[in-house]
Amino acid sequence: MTGWWLMPASQRAADGRPIIIGIALAYFAVVALIGVWASRRTHSASDYFVAGKGIGLVTLAVAAMASTLSGFAFIGGPGLVYSVGIGAVFLVLSASITSTLGAWTLGKRMRLLGEARGLMTVPDAIGARFRSPAAQGLSAAAILVAVVGYMATNFLALGLVLDAMFGTGLSLGIWLAMFVTLSYTVSGGILAGVYTDLFEGLVKAVASVTVFWFVLRSGGGMAGITRAIAAVDATFVGPWGKMPALSALSLFFVFGLGSLGQPHIAHKFYMLRDPRRLKWYPALMSVAMSLALLLYVGVGLAMRAKVASGAVPPLARADDATPAFVLGFTPGAVAGVVFAGVIAAGMSTVNSFMNIGAAALTHDLPRAVGRRVGNELRWGRIWTLVLSLAAVLVAQWSGTLVAFLGIFGYGLFASTLVPSLAIGLNWPGATREGAVASIATGLVLTLLLETLAYFKLFSLPAGVTVSGLSLLLSLLVFFAVSWITRGRAASQLDADVRMVMDA
Amino acid sequence: MPTRFAIAALVLSCIAIALAYALAFLPGGAPSIAPWGLALGSAGALSAMIALGAARGGRVRPVALVASLLTFVAVGGAFGAALLLPPDETTGMTIVLGFPLRTAIVLYGVGIVPLFFLPLAYAMSFDADTLSDADLERVRAAAREFHE
Repeated sequence: MTGWWLMPASQRAADGRPIIIGIALAYFAVVALIGVWASRRTHSASDYFVAGKGIGLVTLAVAAMASTLSGFAFIGGPGLVYSVGIGAVFLVLSASITSTLGAWTLGKRMRLLGEARGLMTVPDAIGARFRSPAAQGLSAAAILVAVVGYMATNFLALGLVLDAMFGTGLSLGIWLAMFVTLSYTVSGGILAGVYTDLFEGLVKAVASVTVFWFVLRSGGGMAGITRAIAAVDATFVGPWGKMPALSALSLFFVFGLGSLGQPHIAHKFYMLRDPRRLKWYPALMSVAMSLALLLYVGVGLAMRAKVASGAVPPLARADDATPAFVLGFTPGAVAGVVFAGVIAAGMSTVNSFMNIGAAALTHDLPRAVGRRVGNELRWGRIWTLVLSLAAVLVAQWSGTLVAFLGIFGYGLFASTLVPSLAIGLNWPGATREGAVASIATGLVLTLLLETLAYFKLFSLPAGVTVSGLSLLLSLLVFFAVSWITRGRAASQLDADVRMVMDA
Repeated sequence: MPTRFAIAALVLSCIAIALAYALAFLPGGAPSIAPWGLALGSAGALSAMIALGAARGGRVRPVALVASLLTFVAVGGAFGAALLLPPDETTGMTIVLGFPLRTAIVLYGVGIVPLFFLPLAYAMSFDADTLSDADLERVRAAAREFHE
């Protein structure tokens, strides 16, 4: 068993574990009910992939927040703050901007394109914008590569949590996580996904605010936490933490601009019932994100302060920061909600990736080669199953490889989709050649450099990351090739797409 | 303002970031000027994207332009202040809203301040500059025409 985090044996009887397990089981019951409800409303490919384009604003905003913040926001993120201090906050620092940025650059145009053309996927939008099956196919291939890695990483994380909570063993935990997520995804598609996300997002926000209150209370306020840390290592609470300034700022660049290339978020804009309701999307999404990120920022600093003051021994693993804090400094019910939130976060992220991966195989790749699948709903379900099995096998195969696949997912999405999607939908001067060249640049560079770095055949200087470099180069290639081929730009735009871009 | 200025700002921001990365490859590591490229480049890229995304008919509307400039000032200013101010993270440091001064400037300037004007600017300008009922009907009519 992975360990009931840091709990001395003498405390285990009174550790609130029954409450925690009870809350987790209640969570599974709610998810099952949502799955049954959604399966009765899923009758077409549109229902399966874009929730019948019928969800409301609050559901969209909270579901987008839940999909944006995977289990990393509750476990890996606070662990990173515990390890490197304030520098780790640069991953989420742009959240104050990205909601409004996404609404302005993608929200209206994707939603209107969906209406004008009946689009269902992000590669659909790229294909329609550039009238290019090649751009649609390449972007779908990039999504597929990243999706399997992301799913495998999340299955592994879910397996670890289920093992720790129920003692299932890692292997069975991974299969159980796959079975539960697959069952509601295959039956209810993204409709089950967004309503599970809504429930999960609310759980996550409540858990985050509650835990942050305990962070402040147990640490003597944020000033008390800062002073305790600074007494041992003042650079930890400096503006860049233990990172070089260049590294922290590089994270801000990738996670700020890269947010516009995350397909599991962008494709949710298709689902909004009334596009005029987008008006309040940034406000709602920003509030939801800010609340859900309090735990990310607070827990890592609180645990570092407790270690600095000698209240707790140093953690064996940085990822133990959240479990150790909630088990040691909050009531059992709060810990239960947090663990349910971790499970929920992983499952909602996997559900989103199952959906966009299945859409790439069922919808985008066949269209890229001039074919159409007859029954997209049935094939969507079949590919969801196949992708899930592939991801579970990868998760079982090699732990370090899974971690590697998970790391480059965000960067791969950013470098392949930001230029062609976010800039392409807003700049009539972009060309098909520029889009194809930038997607290919992002895909090849990310895969090549990450693989070389993984096998220690190549390393970048401090402050330069593969994801940052790939995003930057794909942007520069996009601008350069579009400028060289600028004479073709106008002829590559269909009238209705141009109208949406001008609207 | 024509959108070509937003594109030019985006390209310039990318070049600033490219220079910062290029400097990191120098023997001996990145010089102290390198983070400035990323600080101003990132602020510029996000601001330019806001302006580009909010543009209609090839022009950036006034509210979006102001929001874009304020974003650049908040993000670039906070990062710039953290790079310019001397390090003061010691045991006797001044604590501002729970953090050392430079950290507070970054966390609140970048992480909180934009929350007060960006969503508001979007909502305030939505009916006039983003999507009115008339705009929606025009797109729907075009879609009907396309499908016929």
